[in-house]
Amino acid sequence: MGPMSRLVGRQLTRHPIRSVLTVGSLTVAIFLLCLLRSLVTTLEAGVDAADSRRLWVMSSVSLFADLPLNYQRKIEQVEGVANTCKWQWFGGYYQDRSNWFAQFACDEKRLLEMWPELEIIEGNADDFLRNKTACVIGEGLARQFGWKVGDRVPLIGALFPRSDYSVWEFDIAAIYRPKKATLDEQTMFFHWDYFAETQRASEGRDPNVGVYALEMHDPAAASSIMATIDSMFENGPMRVRTTTEAEFTRQFVEMVGNVPRLVAWIGTGVLLAILLAVINTMLMAGREQIREIGILKALGFTDGTSARVLLGQSLFLCGIGGGLGIGVAKLTEGFIARSIARMFPGYHVVGSTVALAAVVTIILGVLAGLVPAWNASRLRPVEALRRS
Amino acid sequence: MIRLENVTRVYRRGGEKLTVLDGLSLDMEGGKFYALMGPSGSGKTTMLNLVGGLDRPDSGHVAVAGEDVGALEGAALSQWRADNVGFVFQGFNLIPVLTALENVMLPLSLTPLSRAERRKHAEFALELVGMSDRLSHRPQQLSGGQEQRVAIARAIATDPGIILADEPTGDLDRDSADQVLGLLERLNKEFQKTILMVTHDPAAAERAQRIVNLDKGRLADDPREGA
Ligand SMILES: Nc1ncnc2c1ncn2[C@@H]1O[C@H](COP(=O)(O)OP(=O)(O)O)[C@@H](O)[C@H]1O
Ligand SMILES: [Mg+2]
Repeated sequence: MGPMSRLVGRQLTRHPIRSVLTVGSLTVAIFLLCLLRSLVTTLEAGVDAADSRRLWVMSSVSLFADLPLNYQRKIEQVEGVANTCKWQWFGGYYQDRSNWFAQFACDEKRLLEMWPELEIIEGNADDFLRNKTACVIGEGLARQFGWKVGDRVPLIGALFPRSDYSVWEFDIAAIYRPKKATLDEQTMFFHWDYFAETQRASEGRDPNVGVYALEMHDPAAASSIMATIDSMFENGPMRVRTTTEAEFTRQFVEMVGNVPRLVAWIGTGVLLAILLAVINTMLMAGREQIREIGILKALGFTDGTSARVLLGQSLFLCGIGGGLGIGVAKLTEGFIARSIARMFPGYHVVGSTVALAAVVTIILGVLAGLVPAWNASRLRPVEALRRS
Repeated sequence: MIRLENVTRVYRRGGEKLTVLDGLSLDMEGGKFYALMGPSGSGKTTMLNLVGGLDRPDSGHVAVAGEDVGALEGAALSQWRADNVGFVFQGFNLIPVLTALENVMLPLSLTPLSRAERRKHAEFALELVGMSDRLSHRPQQLSGGQEQRVAIARAIATDPGIILADEPTGDLDRDSADQVLGLLERLNKEFQKTILMVTHDPAAAERAQRIVNLDKGRLADDPREGA
């Protein structure tokens, strides 16, 4: 350690409480920055991971309006369409409304064909396909409720009650782990036929379809396929809007509100507040060390070295605080991911967030050290030494 | 060795001008111990700062060992200071967060010496001032006399030719003051340092080989005064 870095370190031990408080608030601020940005990157991961071979067909009226069952055959006849899959939001819950999670009735076989990222890690696909009441659940769900393969899970069909108002029963045949952010690990998928038959029994007719997913032979044909499908149903009975998977996912992100923009504002506010706090600390340090800077200059140290003694203190403070903040964000990653899995599935502090936090830390250090460092470099030793 | 030629230093505060040094000319020999005396406000500290390159004359020249100090700037001036002068102040001016040894090693970091050599030089300087048993003490843990001895060790660590001491015994009791004066004498006799010491104390001035009297920015025995 050089004599100057030793001096920098020692100056910070001069007011230990002040240094600890400054480092502490930097830690909190940088941790918050990491947390907020991770919420955004987590939301956007689904958009980024979107599969360019898949398109989604939904009502052009609203995301909540259903589509007729016979659209599937018509969509399949469009040239370039390789496969399709019905999705319907089931909206049930386990025992209590607070135990809410996402369930979808799907074309089970096509689901596995079209979503290779749905990797089964326990149980097997054959059991899921063979048994009509079988379902496949994400590993996060299995963890949350302690469910295992072979368990029978009763769900209350809040949107789709059975004719006798009894519970729907599902047999867990497999547990999956999402290999991409297009799926989250808190979802249950079950057979379309089980859903449709039960609905026919209670309502006397087939259920409608929430959205159709389709797979293309060639992603290059996307715009023509989208145009074809949209115009095909132009005259009803339900007009549709076909979108890419990225666009489809983004709609869900936007339903949560304009989170990214809100987060950017909050993050900027937090950083400004901490910048003012560190500037204050460094201005105080600069004033206290006027005499010592004068001594350094009298001993023959240059203006540049004098400036670096103060800039160094600022960078040191910010480096420790920012480093701790990043460390805390990484250490709490698993815990936070579990706590907010429902709203932000797949919460993860990505490398670019760590890099951003590190760069912000350095910028904070430079900005907070700038004025005292400038003052130190301009300080005339004669004046500094005259003060007592 | 040290030559002041018609040196003027004027302070401006508000609209008022205060002429602190008024055409001062003076020659001082190398290797001699000078005491600089004069009433408070007569410009002693100002003169010392000019010789040490901490301040610049408004007119005239300050030359030290042939070098025009007033003409040096920036890093060159800093380096000149590091190589040629050691300062000793009335208020000691040690860095409070560094130990005695670290304080003395500080100016040595401006030399090309290795870390081990720097430590050796610093320990030698502290030995010379009789402070080898206090290497890891902080300034607060030392008495005034001890602090001043550490400050002297710091001033001589890089082996500069000139020591500039501004009332070095002003804050010390009689015994400590004697020790400090003895040290300065020794540095002059044994190591041929040129010493310029400001003092108010006639007893302290007695230890010097020459006495310079300043009054109102001029030499008190300046021939012009009598004219
Ligand atoms: N930076 C300054 N601005 C204005 N006046 C100053 C400044 N520095 C010193 N002075 C004035 O210059 C005069 C001489 O100061 P100084 O050289 O410190 O005297 P001494 O050391 O002999 O007591 C004093 O009147 C002092 O107030
Ligand atoms: Mg003075």
